[in-house]
Amino acid sequence: MISVQNLVKRYGPKLAVDDLSFEVDRGEVVGFLGPNGAGKSTTLRVIAGFLGATSGTVKVAGHDIATDSFAARTKLGYMPEIVPLYPEMRVAEYLRFRADLKRVPGNARREAVWNAMGKANVRDVANVVIGNLSKGYKQRVGLADALVADPPLLVLDEPTAGLDPNQIREVRDVIRALGKEHTVLLSTHILSEVEASCSRAIVIAGGKLVMAGTMAELARRRRSAGLRIVVRGDLAAAKSALAIEGIKKLEARAEDDVHVLTASWAKKLDEPQMAAAMEAAVAALVAAGLAVREATRVKGSLEDLFAELTTVPEEAAS
Amino acid sequence: MRAFWPIYKRELFAFFVTPLAWVLITVFLLVQGMHFFLLVDHFAGAQQQSDQTPLQAFFGNTVLLYLVLFLLIPPMTMRLFAEERRSGSIEGLMTAPVSSSAVVLAKFAGAFTTYIAMWAPTALYLVILRQTGEIDWQAAASAFLGVALVGSGYLAVGLLMSSITKSQFLALVLTAMVILALFILGIGEFITPEGTTMHAVCSHVSIWAHMNDFASGVIDSRRLVFYGSLTVGSLFTTVRAVDAWRWG
Repeated sequence: MISVQNLVKRYGPKLAVDDLSFEVDRGEVVGFLGPNGAGKSTTLRVIAGFLGATSGTVKVAGHDIATDSFAARTKLGYMPEIVPLYPEMRVAEYLRFRADLKRVPGNARREAVWNAMGKANVRDVANVVIGNLSKGYKQRVGLADALVADPPLLVLDEPTAGLDPNQIREVRDVIRALGKEHTVLLSTHILSEVEASCSRAIVIAGGKLVMAGTMAELARRRRSAGLRIVVRGDLAAAKSALAIEGIKKLEARAEDDVHVLTASWAKKLDEPQMAAAMEAAVAALVAAGLAVREATRVKGSLEDLFAELTTVPEEAAS
Repeated sequence: MRAFWPIYKRELFAFFVTPLAWVLITVFLLVQGMHFFLLVDHFAGAQQQSDQTPLQAFFGNTVLLYLVLFLLIPPMTMRLFAEERRSGSIEGLMTAPVSSSAVVLAKFAGAFTTYIAMWAPTALYLVILRQTGEIDWQAAASAFLGVALVGSGYLAVGLLMSSITKSQFLALVLTAMVILALFILGIGEFITPEGTTMHAVCSHVSIWAHMNDFASGVIDSRRLVFYGSLTVGSLFTTVRAVDAWRWG
């Protein structure tokens, strides 16, 4: 549905997007992830046909946005980061204007507007002047605008930015529902957002692609941060048994003579190293005469993964 | 061009739903009404026959017409692009399947329609004048044609200025400066020696001379070409400017 090949966008001397390539297939809900300033909005603006690319090709539903921009734009509903609305218009008026602009035929316009308002959950404010709406409603009117011509592809730039937690949940529900009929590409800098509503994620940092994969693949990338072990026996003995290589920090919590030990790895470990370290820790505890009841890996947080992924380019550069 | 009508309608909506157009029209009509009253009063009390008609004086012979345009055109055009770029709504507009030329033409047509709506009630002056005397309808028609031409040229310049800056204030100042510059050049007609290039240039751009001609029923093709090219040239440059910040 979207094909981005070697996209480069320069703002004067500043390189905003650096040789980015990715694909979005029909029916996917893809999260476009990256820290602020990573080039997310720029990439989405190029896809939406608002900015020209410095080089590279972008195709939307098979139409090149540089040579066949009109056809590409009719296939695409775009919701910019700052939802641009005319404050003096009423919601339904505005959406009728947008439908007209997006070539929805006159006799189908009323219905298109009604359906879009239903999907974005803004029917209750249809006759309210946009300038008087709350931020959450404005955001959803922007979504209704993207939906009004019923395009097969939706490109949403930070659809939940600036909303309160309830509104975020509402917008996420809407997006999940939209994923059933539309292909969706949404950008965000919150990883849990992607986890909540997307089937796949594309991570960029510094204008470069860092990672692209399904949510399962992303979850696999979540490294183990440490180890949680429940032992019965003497705490001091357990602590000295765990004073082995690879374990950095040790916290203990006691319930009678049962201790819950939480250890974190001293350095980043890959899968086999981690398995070996875990085995070594359990063996050491058993050898010290303690009864091991449980041993589980502690998953790194999504934030850790995000930080790890998006700081890679700087490390590589230095 | 399919996008022309929806944008044109929205532009009119923006003019007439916000107080902007009504304030401009009200102020304009008050000032023009005063202007007209004073002229008619003067002609009514005049001792000897004048070689001018009140209509000719209204459109052509005083500085008031230009002063009003100078004060009203810049605020009409300043917001057209600058406001949309500042607020970001241009992003929604340009990502819809619309061409830059449709957007530019629709915005121009919206402003021009508002301008005509502003002038339309002054046609009543003809009705009033007819109560007391003959009216040269051809001269009146040519005077209104002149008003439309001058307006279209100035509005196109204003649209261009609005497209090259994100600041409405800057767009206002730039438009006012161009209009003022054309007027000042026009004054040059009276102070430069006849026969020089400068004199020729000054008399060619002098709105004063233009409106004098139109008000006395003279439709000079040079005037048509001047305002035609001012309008078309400005609109064309505006399309290029829009393309430049869009694709550049």
